[in-house]
Amino acid sequence: MANDDIRALSEALAADPASLVFVPLGEALRRRGDLEVALRVALRGVERHPANPDAHDLIARIAVDAGDLERAVAEWEAVLRLTNGHAGAHKGLGFICFQLGRLEDAEAHLGAALAANPEDGSLAAALQTARAALAETADRPARPTLGLPIEMQRPDADAGALFDDLLEGQRSAAMLLDADGLVLAGRYVSADGRDLAAIIGAQLSGVSDEAGRAMRHLGLGNWRQIVFETEAASVAMAPSQEGVLLVAAARPIPLGFVRRVLERALERAAEWMGDAR
Amino acid sequence: MSSPFAPLTESLIRHRGVLGAMVVGLDDGLIVESTLQVGVNGNAFAALTASLYRKARRSAGAAGFGATGFLELTAEQGRVCTAGGQELVVVVVCEQRVNVGLLRVELLRAAEHLP
Amino acid sequence: MRFSVVASWVETPLKQFVDDARVEIAVLLHPSGQVLGQYGFARSVDVMTACALASAIHASAGELGRMLEGKPFTALHYTGRDRQIFLGAIPSPSGTLLLFAVFDRESSLGLVQLFLEEFSARIAIAAPPLVSDGSPPMAEHFERDLNRNLAQLFGRA
Repeated sequence: MANDDIRALSEALAADPASLVFVPLGEALRRRGDLEVALRVALRGVERHPANPDAHDLIARIAVDAGDLERAVAEWEAVLRLTNGHAGAHKGLGFICFQLGRLEDAEAHLGAALAANPEDGSLAAALQTARAALAETADRPARPTLGLPIEMQRPDADAGALFDDLLEGQRSAAMLLDADGLVLAGRYVSADGRDLAAIIGAQLSGVSDEAGRAMRHLGLGNWRQIVFETEAASVAMAPSQEGVLLVAAARPIPLGFVRRVLERALERAAEWMGDAR
Repeated sequence: MSSPFAPLTESLIRHRGVLGAMVVGLDDGLIVESTLQVGVNGNAFAALTASLYRKARRSAGAAGFGATGFLELTAEQGRVCTAGGQELVVVVVCEQRVNVGLLRVELLRAAEHLP
Repeated sequence: MRFSVVASWVETPLKQFVDDARVEIAVLLHPSGQVLGQYGFARSVDVMTACALASAIHASAGELGRMLEGKPFTALHYTGRDRQIFLGAIPSPSGTLLLFAVFDRESSLGLVQLFLEEFSARIAIAAPPLVSDGSPPMAEHFERDLNRNLAQLFGRA
């Protein structure tokens, strides 16, 4: 949305502070990255309209962008109390619960969101992933987390801990995958201590295959790096040995940090693979 | 007659290091509007980049990361940046030396206007 | 592996096309309906049906194109709920050939068109020149050739 539109919405809200125009205004500010202002607008709106689900939904989305997942959960739960079966709230809660390792909750919310919106392929895939993660990790013991600060470990302690010291205690993860998308080293640990590296790696390794095909036809040489931003995470990947190295960091950790970790992890992986051979 | 996206692609190609700017159908990978320097194979970039973006979006969704915004592919001899809506994406083909931060902001802003 | 070819020169270009475009089904055929190679079908009866339909669609589209624009339409695309089909004519030293492809969301019309260009270029190099004695094809020859091709494709020659 252009600045002029934001100005117009802002003027409309000033003219009628009791109107619901704070919802599109807050959303426009959120999209522009003005999270503080967006949150102020949304909070003021929810004071006047505490029973409006869109107002709580707006706060939840702003909270996700700001990395405040607990607040997002609280707000989306409020939406569901106000509007039973709200698809957006179930979807948001599903993704957050998955990030936090609350896999049973993730499955329930994603299932509810999919029931409300059966055409959404991303929801079906996410639900499948949550179920696979549940099946995969049901009996695993608890370990350190992506959602909570990581306990530093010596990089040579085991392959799973290979990149832990590079992550600087941030809510991030790094993993080295082979050509088939199987985890060679590193981990992706959720808040409740489950290692989701195998699942996440399998899902994201397909992106590097796609890049490989594109490179064969675009005349740009080999690919060196892919970075992309999602609602919940910034992801970077690069070819490493015969496989791919993948770094994911919870938003709002900036892309620059993710790139830096990726570069250092590439060096670490090359050393480790050399030693392993 | 030019499409409503012509001003967008014409503005993007004015950035130093940008070789081509396109608006592309996300599902079909076909060009809706483009401004390309001579020698840039727009059809190939459009089809393959849209496919890469779709794959990233599906994979990120399936991994529980939610919707995908900006994506950048860096190769030995250039970069491709993209961001998009549900139906259309903006694709920018660049040289290695380009201000990615500035492009990212422009693409995310442009993506807000795309269906 | 679900590849099968009648003519050896079809194999490499067709495999490359399937790998690149990531289609579910690809059939290269003569406009008459005779199959040259296919990927994706497990039963000869399905190939026969697909070829007959593709041939008929191509003939109908060609006539429609001539009526509407004075020249035949050379490509057809249809989008279903989950799958899409593409039928395109490609020039070759053996005369015009048809490529019939079925794809889902792993591919796209843009990718199929892009890789069809490369496929056409490979076929132009690989296909042998057309040898004709000038006489029109007879129905019994066509039937015999069709059955022989299908038997070759599915290993019963």
